[in-house]
Amino acid sequence: MTTLADAGTGRAATSRIDRFGVVIAIFLIGALALPFATLRATRIASGTGLRLFEALPVTVTATVLVVLAAAIGVALSSRRPAVRLALGALALAALALAAGAAGAHLMPDDNPYARIAPASGFWVALFGASMLVTDASVRLKLGPAGRIVALAVTAALIAGLFASGAWSHLSIVAEYRNRADVFWREAINHVILAAGSLAAAIAIGLPLGILAYEVRAVRDPLINVLNIVQTIPSMALFGILIAPLGWIAMNVPGAHAIGIRGIGMAPAFLALFLYSLLPMVANTVVGLNGVSRAVVDAARGMGLTGRQRLFQVEMPLALPVLLTGIRIALVQNIGLATVAALIGGGGFGVFLFQGLGQTATDLILLGALPPVALAFAAAVVLDAVIEISGRGKA
Amino acid sequence: MIELSHLTKVYNDTAVVNDVNMEIEAGTITVIVGTSGSGKSTLLRMVNRLVEPTEGRVFLEGSDVSTMPPHELRRSIGYAIQNHGLFPHWTVARNIATVPMLLGWDRRKVDARVEELMELFQLDHGQFANRYPHELSGGQQQRVGVARAMAAKPALLLMDEPFGALDPIIRSKAQTDLKAIQRRTGTTILLVTHDMGEAVHLGDRIAVMDGGLLKQYAPAADILARPADAFVDDLIGSADRPFRYLTLGKVRAAVEPGDAEGAPLAADASLYEGLGELLWSGRDAAPVIDAAGAPVGRISLQGIAGRAARPK
Repeated sequence: MTTLADAGTGRAATSRIDRFGVVIAIFLIGALALPFATLRATRIASGTGLRLFEALPVTVTATVLVVLAAAIGVALSSRRPAVRLALGALALAALALAAGAAGAHLMPDDNPYARIAPASGFWVALFGASMLVTDASVRLKLGPAGRIVALAVTAALIAGLFASGAWSHLSIVAEYRNRADVFWREAINHVILAAGSLAAAIAIGLPLGILAYEVRAVRDPLINVLNIVQTIPSMALFGILIAPLGWIAMNVPGAHAIGIRGIGMAPAFLALFLYSLLPMVANTVVGLNGVSRAVVDAARGMGLTGRQRLFQVEMPLALPVLLTGIRIALVQNIGLATVAALIGGGGFGVFLFQGLGQTATDLILLGALPPVALAFAAAVVLDAVIEISGRGKA
Repeated sequence: MIELSHLTKVYNDTAVVNDVNMEIEAGTITVIVGTSGSGKSTLLRMVNRLVEPTEGRVFLEGSDVSTMPPHELRRSIGYAIQNHGLFPHWTVARNIATVPMLLGWDRRKVDARVEELMELFQLDHGQFANRYPHELSGGQQQRVGVARAMAAKPALLLMDEPFGALDPIIRSKAQTDLKAIQRRTGTTILLVTHDMGEAVHLGDRIAVMDGGLLKQYAPAADILARPADAFVDDLIGSADRPFRYLTLGKVRAAVEPGDAEGAPLAADASLYEGLGELLWSGRDAAPVIDAAGAPVGRISLQGIAGRAARPK
């Protein structure tokens, strides 16, 4: 009986196909049916989609196919996270290099205005390979430090690919080259908008949260007001702020001199600040409320003063929840800051909206991809910090 | 040493503590016992001003506690609670050092005191000093909680159901240890519990509270022998009364001359333990030896039974 059952499960285990691997395989195989790259005569012309073998030299096509086949095989059959991670990473690298190679291969000698961009097949395959990597990382149970290292390595590899010129024939890089100065200026604007408004929200939201925690009567009204602010669509909030800030700029001496205007950075900054207040205040209250009653009672009974109790006991214990609030606000701000460009606030949105206006897909991507990458990196780093801060407090 | 005078606390028109007067002698253990909602915890918390009385005063060594800044008052009084309330982000050593650090003792004196206390509470310094509370067992956490309360050598220690979260075996040992430590340090202890057994085991005097009123305040033996009213009688439990009474007496007190068969009993054991031993081994009497192991006589079922009867 036992032996039969054991033999049965043993056979089932070796022949079992990884279910998530099936999804990954569908993405990777499906990607081959789609165009890998698009060739356009100019940056706003409509393009022709080229499949993998049309977009790349035969040897490169063969290499990519071999790597993808190996990745599919591992995704379907291997149970070892390290192997899955390695093949996923290899597939990502192959796709990244192939995209660059397609650029070099397809670039016509007689038309410097031609543009080559990765097409749907590339993105679908990239998504499939990313799923393999993400899934493997989760299964590997990387610690917080490990995740930050992995992020740093990924960032360094991408920076290396840019610097090496492997992608120099790709349209998004061409768009970047044409406006490198503006790009970095707007990048800094974007970070100032997202991180600066968050810093202001921490400076104001933390004391407000502490007040709401200490004084019950303040709590519900404050949270309700912030909840309402949060429900106002970002465009509407930007618009609402134009009038009062414009009035302040006109009528308050010195306001104009320090950069307060009805449009531009000031209303965008203020709107992002208001959006970040809710996660900051709410998480401060929730974090402080979550500190065990027995611990607070003991702290009072031991003779800690109100201030000592707050800074030595309650705040350190609420820290993981506070950091979660900061993470939510920062990731939200990085995304929302993109919209600031509509009222002249700057940031990556400048390229996105220019691109939309010109129907230049590559320019749209130049405005859209950096905030996505930034938000992802911020989330990974803050998640790691939250995990570290929560240790030893079980 | 502690005097509670006309102490009253009113919440929403209800007197949770109603005109309580008590005097607590220095160097003794006083246990406040009552059901939940009797006002016993509120009474305790008025001593270190975690709750401010609506009326009445608390005097510590003759001085009115309401004249002292609350945090300074609390640093001079030990405080241990149910579920210990240890600071989860601090090590065992840092937890124990809480009050000495608040009082600004110098580092070396703090370290020495922490080591001394950990030894007193049977916690190996090398093994536990740098652990975090969640790495300890319930019994160890509770000991750290009491050690922390005693760290600055307070003359008075307030304990609110300190053993409430422990399982019965560990609780019994913790009670015995606390009593031994109290005898050694001479700390005055005011302890709140709902368990009459614990009150009789620990208390030199017992205060019974019900509905905010102090029903009876007397030495443990008096409470058992002469409960003031039906409520106190109920709290003791009529079936348990003779056995509770026996826990108060020592075998030594019932020794009679002569000898007996079988394993000897220690003169220091309680009559309750002596009775249990005789019943279980099926003997009418057992020899008694002192701490040095020298025979001092015998103890009989008859002798114990005589001490379990209601005193005349």
